[in-house]
Amino acid sequence: MRFSALLRKEFRECIPWLLLAAVVFFGFGGYCLRAFAFPRYGYLYNPYFQPGSLVEPYRLTNYSALQLPGIWLSLTSIGLGLILGVRHFWIPYFTGTWPFLLHRSVNRKTVLAAKLTAAAITFVISLGFTWIVLYWYANRPELFTLPQTARIFIEGWIFILLGLVVYLGTALSGLSTAKWYTTKAFGIAFASIIIFMTFSQWQLFWTFAVIVIGIVILLSQVIDTFLNREF
Amino acid sequence: MSDIVLETEGLTKYYGSTVAVDHLDMQVPRGCICGFVGRNGAGKTTAIKLMLGLLNPTEGSSKLLGCDSTTLTSTIRQRIGYVAEGHRLFRWMSINELERFQCAFFPRQWDCKFFTDMIEYFGLSRRKKIKHLSNGQRAQVSLALALAPNPELLIMDDPTLGLDAAIRRQFLEGMIQLIMHQGRTVLFSSHILGDVERVSDRILVIDKGVLRANCSLEQFRSAVKKVMINFDDSVPAEVDIEGLLHCRRSEKELEVTLVGTNEEKIDEWAKSAGAAQYKIVQMNLEDQFIEFTAPPGRKKLFQWEEI
Amino acid sequence: MDLWIQISPGSKEPVYIQVAEQISEAIAKGQLASGDKLPAVRKLAAELVINPNTVARAYTHLEQAGLVTTKVGSGTFVADPKMRKADAADMNILTERMDTLISRGLNLGLKATKLIEIFKTRVEKFAINSNKKEE
Repeated sequence: MRFSALLRKEFRECIPWLLLAAVVFFGFGGYCLRAFAFPRYGYLYNPYFQPGSLVEPYRLTNYSALQLPGIWLSLTSIGLGLILGVRHFWIPYFTGTWPFLLHRSVNRKTVLAAKLTAAAITFVISLGFTWIVLYWYANRPELFTLPQTARIFIEGWIFILLGLVVYLGTALSGLSTAKWYTTKAFGIAFASIIIFMTFSQWQLFWTFAVIVIGIVILLSQVIDTFLNREF
Repeated sequence: MSDIVLETEGLTKYYGSTVAVDHLDMQVPRGCICGFVGRNGAGKTTAIKLMLGLLNPTEGSSKLLGCDSTTLTSTIRQRIGYVAEGHRLFRWMSINELERFQCAFFPRQWDCKFFTDMIEYFGLSRRKKIKHLSNGQRAQVSLALALAPNPELLIMDDPTLGLDAAIRRQFLEGMIQLIMHQGRTVLFSSHILGDVERVSDRILVIDKGVLRANCSLEQFRSAVKKVMINFDDSVPAEVDIEGLLHCRRSEKELEVTLVGTNEEKIDEWAKSAGAAQYKIVQMNLEDQFIEFTAPPGRKKLFQWEEI
Repeated sequence: MDLWIQISPGSKEPVYIQVAEQISEAIAKGQLASGDKLPAVRKLAAELVINPNTVARAYTHLEQAGLVTTKVGSGTFVADPKMRKADAADMNILTERMDTLISRGLNLGLKATKLIEIFKTRVEKFAINSNKKEE
């Protein structure tokens, strides 16, 4: 009962961003997949087009990164992660609501669990669900001539996970009690490094590994900081 | 039920090299209203946050309802009401939603009717969001949220800061109402000494992080006295009376502020110093507080000059 | 029975003294007769918005002065005037207050005889009111 009250509260705060991100993701995703299917049309035209990936072919050319469809999807996810991280872990300082929230008759880890769960649910619904719908729709042979490739599907999930990395990095920066701005930015800096490492090579396995390790490290730091921090 | 609801032992908090709370030793007994007073920045909020486990002590410890503050369990927290400075609540929630949120944490304690009655009495619309309420209205909601679970121990950090007299009175009424229940205790910090005098049984005075008074209000009121002493000859150069806080002298008159000195000792000193007569002047709580917390030898801010 | 009590927290007198004084004044004026029941501690505390212990202290103070008696379980009642006793401390306060009044009167330029006359009239007025209540 108490956890659900906390979860309801945290999730309600995510809802406007959930809707916004879903719309943007759907928009970008649709545009990307369409350009993929009709390579000669649109902004994302590339004569070296090779089907099978939303990222790979473009890396090998000297076209700008903005032409990577994957970048746009990632940006949506990263944006959502940033906004949720700020909403959950930065805004309470400005509204002064930490004392009220932390004096609940629950363990502190329950309060944190509610925030993390609400963020996870938001990602799943707003991006995960949207991606599944998009991919299913784009995968129909009568509509697009999209090559049947599971790889693109997986790439979508990588972009979504990047958002989670940023969420945790933003959370850590928000919770950090460090006085120096450089140390305070550690969370966000670490997340940025993960993103860079992700795009600097695009072997799916290593990409996944880097992201998962990044999430594990950030999550443990967030938990540790939140449980011991003074408010 | 144990007798002591709140106790601290050598509670200390340093921020860098500045001491915010300096070796606080106190015990608050059950069933009283305890007024926590001190000048701005004396350490009241820090002390309260330490007691509630929101801050970690540098040294020492504190216990609420027998449980250490750094490891307050959820069952203990359920018995404690806390009104934080500024009455900050979730701005996007309506009063209804806040009630739903709050009462989820007090499943068997929440008094729905009491909350409804209070909100009605304050004339607030339950659909209104917190961000559309004025400071005073938000404080009223905060009070209702804190009292409805009928907490065993209610801790309020400067609950009436910046509020009008009518709302301040409502807070006092709320405190009195709570204390009528068996075994309830209230600790509140305030700058309005009139309010403290009205409702407190005990008074805690903190000054630059140090607890300088921890007694019943009556004891404090009778301990801090001002004595006007008249001399036929000149005023003695050295004033070595016990319990001296401040003294002011003119040609034939000496005004001393004393703490804890009984009348016999005053009489004794006056006789030995060759005073003609003396008179004990009663002070109100605000003056007593100002004298008690003023640094020694302070002058008044403005000096009037004879034209 | 209506008891109008006014609390001034910023005053020099402790709150319980203010309550006790105003009740004893009511008794002296005859507004409260011997045998009348004083309001319950909690009721008065809630009405005046002061701590119930303060009210209890006031009642104890009055009891020590012999103005009221407490019967456990029933409440606090105004005592029989014959039971009242004034001790040395009470007399001190009384003479001190009288000194204040006298000096004020003399400062207004009143002669001593005029002062005594006024005092006599006021005392008689109290006595009349007190008798009226008992009828």
